[in-house]
Amino acid sequence: MGAAGIAPALLVALEPANLLACLAGAVLGTLVGVLPGLGPAGAMALVLPLTVKLGPAAGLIMLAGIYHGSMYGGSTTSILVNVPGEAASVVTTIDGYRMARRGRAGAALAVAALASFVAGTLSVVGLQLFAPAVARAALAFGPAEYFAFTVLGLTVLANLTGGSRLGSFTMIVAGAMLSTVGMDPLGGAVRFTFGVAGAQAGLSFVAVTAGLFGVAEVLVLLTSAEPPSAPARVRFRELYPSRAELRRAVPPALRGTALGFLIGLIPGPAATIASFVSYGVERKVSRHRGELGHGAIEGVAGPEAANNAAASGGMVPLLSLGLPFTPATAVLLSGMLLTGVTPGPFLLRDHPQVFWAVIGSFYVGNAMLLLLNLPLVGLFARVAVVPPRYLMPVVLVLCAVAAFADSNNLFDVWVLVGAGLAGYGLRRLGYDVVPLVLGLVLGPLMERSLLQALTIARGDVAGLWASPQAAAMLVATAALLIVPPAVRLVRRRRRTS
Amino acid sequence: MSRDRTRAVALAALALAYLLAGREYPLDSLAAPGPGVFPLATGVALLLLAACQAGVDVARRRRGEVGGRRPRGPGRRREPALMAALLTAFAAAVPVLGFLASSAALVVLACRLMGVTSWLTAVGLAAGVTAAVHAVFVLWLGVPLPRGLLG
Repeated sequence: MGAAGIAPALLVALEPANLLACLAGAVLGTLVGVLPGLGPAGAMALVLPLTVKLGPAAGLIMLAGIYHGSMYGGSTTSILVNVPGEAASVVTTIDGYRMARRGRAGAALAVAALASFVAGTLSVVGLQLFAPAVARAALAFGPAEYFAFTVLGLTVLANLTGGSRLGSFTMIVAGAMLSTVGMDPLGGAVRFTFGVAGAQAGLSFVAVTAGLFGVAEVLVLLTSAEPPSAPARVRFRELYPSRAELRRAVPPALRGTALGFLIGLIPGPAATIASFVSYGVERKVSRHRGELGHGAIEGVAGPEAANNAAASGGMVPLLSLGLPFTPATAVLLSGMLLTGVTPGPFLLRDHPQVFWAVIGSFYVGNAMLLLLNLPLVGLFARVAVVPPRYLMPVVLVLCAVAAFADSNNLFDVWVLVGAGLAGYGLRRLGYDVVPLVLGLVLGPLMERSLLQALTIARGDVAGLWASPQAAAMLVATAALLIVPPAVRLVRRRRRTS
Repeated sequence: MSRDRTRAVALAALALAYLLAGREYPLDSLAAPGPGVFPLATGVALLLLAACQAGVDVARRRRGEVGGRRPRGPGRRREPALMAALLTAFAAAVPVLGFLASSAALVVLACRLMGVTSWLTAVGLAAGVTAAVHAVFVLWLGVPLPRGLLG
């Protein structure tokens, strides 16, 4: 299809039936993001039968609406009650929740929606322009490169998440250890379940994060000598971000968009990694980096843009190569196959109308999500001013529902309680639990790539750094581990001498 | 005990317990690594980090610092302990009383712990939350919340 034919195909998304499907998907996705427990993949799976009835274009547009909507909605609970709706929203809790405690919940929610819109729209432009070429480049990564990439990524992120490096590394390793509970990713051997049948599927990510953040927050509030107080009520005008806040949010949102899109091309939990990387970059380059961790708008705008851009980036390998890298895109792939559309290199040749209609729906969907979310800011911000003595018991029940609903497993309720107590203890010991989540998410990817790389190299450990890309990443990791402490040591000796 | 030393001891204990529990998973060979390889690597990594933490403690003591000790604040201890017990009791009660009844009890008692003085308000909030959870998660989303022995 020539460039002249693309515009009408894009406009297919504006047909009434497709607009309606997009709206339904956006609303459902936002609700899924806000409600804990039911992730985007689960919600998309629920409506799969409907997509067959709707036909390829409308059906896929609805699924894509749910996927993007859940990214928008996932930040809401992070900001309001410190419970991330999605793994990709964990970082948003750091500054978003602190903003809410200061009475700036509305501003944080509005900036999250705006940054998501900017990132979503710009990354669709990237998707449209670079899809096939970039996806092929990303596929050049084998297990050894992935292992080196995760090692480098975790090392970089340990340096960037704030707090002490030693503490961050400790939490990342603890998270990786927790990820070994359940079946091992290659052989299927059951580990560390101690005979508990419910633990065979591993520790539920939702239960662990709800415990570490939500339940632990309740315990921390109870510990304070002063009775917990609600943030002051704010006037309507103050619900939305000020001009200064909007100006400050633009650079991190743009940086987050670029990072998120590129990271979205890589297999694995790209949206989560992208949000962490974006936050880390802001800690290094932001003009207001000193405020990060204390309720800075940059800590909301960057990660929110990054996770939305990564969600669009994840569409590149799906649409151009037929490879789903996340559970949600896997369900989208199922939807495509059910409607008779086979994604991959021939999608554009065989179904150009569907391809461009879906791309067009991303533009429409992002605009629709912004229009849906901005008016709701005032409503959601009211939740933040409910006194904690009423709000927190409700948060406890929502955490419990989320933990159970993730896989209808009673064991996960115990995981929630355990994670809550552990999170409280870790915070008392001065640990930041955010890197632990990172270790939990990346642990299986790291283990799988390590074991696969060793198997391919027939047990030769040198195979881990045989390729130039893997070697470069491992050298960079070593430099990151050795250089900063060495520089500090030299400086200290110079001072003492 | 200073916070650094508490951290080091706790990490070392955790790493050793993990490595001990992971002994039963085979390592096999490097050409065909078994399910014990990654747990061994992470357990050893945590043990090394515990040693680093102990090193930090020693270095701080040598420099005459207090080793991360914080003056004990006026924080409360009884309420968090009671909340921890309440949450544990909640998890144990779900299979017996069912999810909704256990949640209602959790809300009432958590409200009281958080400082809600009126029983009526606590019970009213519990009823509202339980009804909302039932409507959204059971009726709308079809989540099979446990009904307990009575359900």
